[in-house]
Amino acid sequence: MPFFQSPLLFLLLFLSFSCTQLSCTGTEIQALLAWRSSLNHPGCLTHAWSYNTSNDPCHWEGIGCDEAGSIISLTIIRCSINGTLHKLNFSSFPYLTILHIEEEQNLHGEIPKEIGTLRNLQVLYLYDNKLTGEIPATISNLSNLSNLTIAANYLSGSIPSAIFLNTSNLHHLDLHDNNLTGEIPKTIENLSKLEYLGFSDNHLTGAIPRAIGHLTRLTKLYLDNNELNGRIPLEIGNMTALQYALFNDNNLQWELPATIAQLPNLSSLILKNNQLNGSINPYLGNNSYLEAIDLSNNNFVGMVPSALCRGGGLLMLWASNNSFNGLLPTTLKNCTTLILLELNTNNIRADISLTFGVHPVLTVVDLSENRFYGRLPSNWAENIVILNLEENEIYGKIPLGFLNSTQLQLLSLANNNLTGDIPEELTNSTSLIDLILSNNNFSSLPYIQAPKLETLHLSNNIFVGRFPLLQINWATLVTIDLGENKFSGEVPSWIGSSFPVLRILRLRSNQFIGNIPLQLSMLNNLQWLDLSNNNLTGPIPNILSSMHSMAVQIAQNRSYFDLHFIYKENIHLIWKGEKATYQENTALLNEIDLSCNYISGNIPDDLVKLQGLIFLNLSRNQLSGVIPHNIGNMTSLEILDLSINHLSGNIPQSMSHLTFLDTLNLSHNNLTGQIPSGTQFQTFNPSVFSNNDGLCGFPLPNNCSTNNSSIVHEVNNEEGDKKLEVIWVICSVILGFVTGFWAYFGALFWNISLRFAIFHFMDKMQDKMMKWFGWYLH
Amino acid sequence: MAPTSLLISLASCLLFLSVSPALASNSEGEALCSFKSRLSDPNNVLQSWDQSLVNPCTWFHVTCDSQNRVIRLDLGNSNITGALGPELGRLQHLQYLELYRNNFMGKIPEELGNLKSLVSMDLYENQLEGEIPKSLSKLKSLRFMRMNNNKLTGSIPRELVTLSNLKVLDFSNNDLCGTIPVDGPFSTFPPESFENNKRLNGPELLGLASYDFGC
Repeated sequence: MPFFQSPLLFLLLFLSFSCTQLSCTGTEIQALLAWRSSLNHPGCLTHAWSYNTSNDPCHWEGIGCDEAGSIISLTIIRCSINGTLHKLNFSSFPYLTILHIEEEQNLHGEIPKEIGTLRNLQVLYLYDNKLTGEIPATISNLSNLSNLTIAANYLSGSIPSAIFLNTSNLHHLDLHDNNLTGEIPKTIENLSKLEYLGFSDNHLTGAIPRAIGHLTRLTKLYLDNNELNGRIPLEIGNMTALQYALFNDNNLQWELPATIAQLPNLSSLILKNNQLNGSINPYLGNNSYLEAIDLSNNNFVGMVPSALCRGGGLLMLWASNNSFNGLLPTTLKNCTTLILLELNTNNIRADISLTFGVHPVLTVVDLSENRFYGRLPSNWAENIVILNLEENEIYGKIPLGFLNSTQLQLLSLANNNLTGDIPEELTNSTSLIDLILSNNNFSSLPYIQAPKLETLHLSNNIFVGRFPLLQINWATLVTIDLGENKFSGEVPSWIGSSFPVLRILRLRSNQFIGNIPLQLSMLNNLQWLDLSNNNLTGPIPNILSSMHSMAVQIAQNRSYFDLHFIYKENIHLIWKGEKATYQENTALLNEIDLSCNYISGNIPDDLVKLQGLIFLNLSRNQLSGVIPHNIGNMTSLEILDLSINHLSGNIPQSMSHLTFLDTLNLSHNNLTGQIPSGTQFQTFNPSVFSNNDGLCGFPLPNNCSTNNSSIVHEVNNEEGDKKLEVIWVICSVILGFVTGFWAYFGALFWNISLRFAIFHFMDKMQDKMMKWFGWYLH
Repeated sequence: MAPTSLLISLASCLLFLSVSPALASNSEGEALCSFKSRLSDPNNVLQSWDQSLVNPCTWFHVTCDSQNRVIRLDLGNSNITGALGPELGRLQHLQYLELYRNNFMGKIPEELGNLKSLVSMDLYENQLEGEIPKSLSKLKSLRFMRMNNNKLTGSIPRELVTLSNLKVLDFSNNDLCGTIPVDGPFSTFPPESFENNKRLNGPELLGLASYDFGC
């Protein structure tokens, strides 16, 4: 009987070639092992896919089989493999439904187009690898695909429009964080079951296709951080399942379609950082349960949509940096769920006393840079942490019970029209870090006892009286700004010992009297000392030169003010002749301004030790003596104003070593001598040196008449030489004339025979001429 | 409905908000930042150059006029290395360009000829090479041009004689060639302004010989 005709033998042969549960040596395992050996490094697969671990490959880690023993899932997560997918024979896995490779930092190369042979694939999940190249169009063959995630890789090229033609089972489509370019394909309209669409963090361009309106089951739409332009299509109103829509950080333009207000499930709408304009449908929020709306950094106009809180669940509203001009009182009145409200930098004109109701969880409010008016409300936010109302038109007094909050960290009421006193409940707050009340008409200040206070800005009010009582030994206070008030009395000496971390002391434009306290030199961290425009007398204490923080250039460690992320320091000064506001660069500036006082005596020599000092203004005082000889040691000095004093002596030559000096004023003093030359001194206007009678040399028109001035001296010599020449010529002419005259007539006078000879000769000549003349006439 | 994780992450962002407006679109600041991006600055002289500010007028070593336009750039002796870029030419109101005593290299960009308000150009004591651009003859307000102690080559552009306001010029210690113009302001410059240029042949002989011989 022939071998192959025996049914039993045939069965045995068949069984040996099929994949059984007990000993699977079929093509699937072979393909896996072949791929593993193609890798540069197999990582954990050496151990995970080993017959030592388990006889049955279906029990190997990451491999899942069905009842027939065919591989249906392949999962590789954080396995440290190093290689590509190129040698993975996809056609060996006809039953594969899940391919999941995640966090393989060394899985590179392209996705092979053979992946399209995995006909049964339902989940293709390739996340956080280093895959490159384009998305293979063959994915369009995967008609059973329900989850396509190729995110956080390095894919490039555009999304092939073909892949959505046959993959209508897709529920989850995630391609975020790649380098994809091109437009979003219109074929996306075929994905009628799609619930999640994530294209964030790519370089997609073009407009959002109107086809997107067909995605009626989509709950999450993430298109943020791309380069999309054009309009948001009004078909978005058809996406009735939409809950989360992120469009931020694109170049979207035109208006927000009014249809967006009809979406019944919309919960979060983030539009920040686009160029959207026009006004927003006031019914936005009427039909759904909005939680978070971010409209900031666009060009929206008109009213802030009034229905935003209608759903009863609004948590966060950002609308800053637009051109909104109104806010209805009903918008926020009953918004008791509100946690965050940012409407700053708009043009909103509204009565702030009508804007709020009671907001138990309201934590952050920023209404700055608007036109809110009216009086401050009270008892409205008991848990508030940040309240910024600066630059509005709010008036009246701070009411009792304004803020019952025990959490308040930043309060800014600056740049309003507020009056009256500062309530103790504010200045005694145990949580308060920044208190900014500048540019109002506050008149009275209680004892300030806030133990965590870091910045105190009271400038430009009408406070009177002595330097305010501040609790001694505040380890936290960094900035004291009392400028532009009517404080009087002496600058207290206890400042020096009380504020170990003080960096900014600004007492400018008050009526302080007396001497500058020596103890100020104990402020080891002081960078900014502005005592200008007061009535201070006495000398500049020599000990100021021991201020450590001004002795060195501030290094890159500008960390203090940057860490202070809640509020960026805002200091006003006159910088290079113009008003300026220092904000981000505050941490880097070392300045001393003692100008406009009655300070007398010398400029201490030791002041030149302050090598980190950038700005020094001692102008408009009664300083006398000389400018310190070694002023060239102050190598950071950029602005130096010593004008309107009684300084005498020369301008030190070392001043020409200051290569950063760009603003200098030495005018109105008694300085003498040659102006130094070289480097920066060749760039200053003569006005910088004016009204100093004895100064000479470039750039002043008057030259110095000493031996040291070489070119000027030579010119003088030349002129003298010329004069001498002329005199010699005249002398020699006169001499020659006199000699000639007397030689002739002298002879005539003193020698008779010579006289006769001459006259005889002349007679003869006369006869000859008469004869000749007579002959001519005939 | 409880906040989702998305909302919680948005909530934590609020603590890091900045009060000031987000983006600055000041083109002079952008030009200076482009300039800075080519440079190596070991002394951190440019650390205050923060482009998020609305203009560069509070940056150290930059001076503006009353309309916030840059009029001075003072970076002498800063230990800066790198090339000068064309973007400096965008500072249309710049009067004083003080870049002396550094390690600037590469060519002098011809865009510096666009600085129509420039009064003083001090590029001396650097490693600049290439030719002196003819476009510098457009700097009609220029009074001081000091480029001594570099590695400049080529001839002195004759077009520079049209700079009638030029009072001080120093091209000494370079590798210039050809002849020295004698017209216009060049008649007032002393010979020291051109010394130590081995291949510079002396004053031009008008009408007698071609200008750029030996160059």
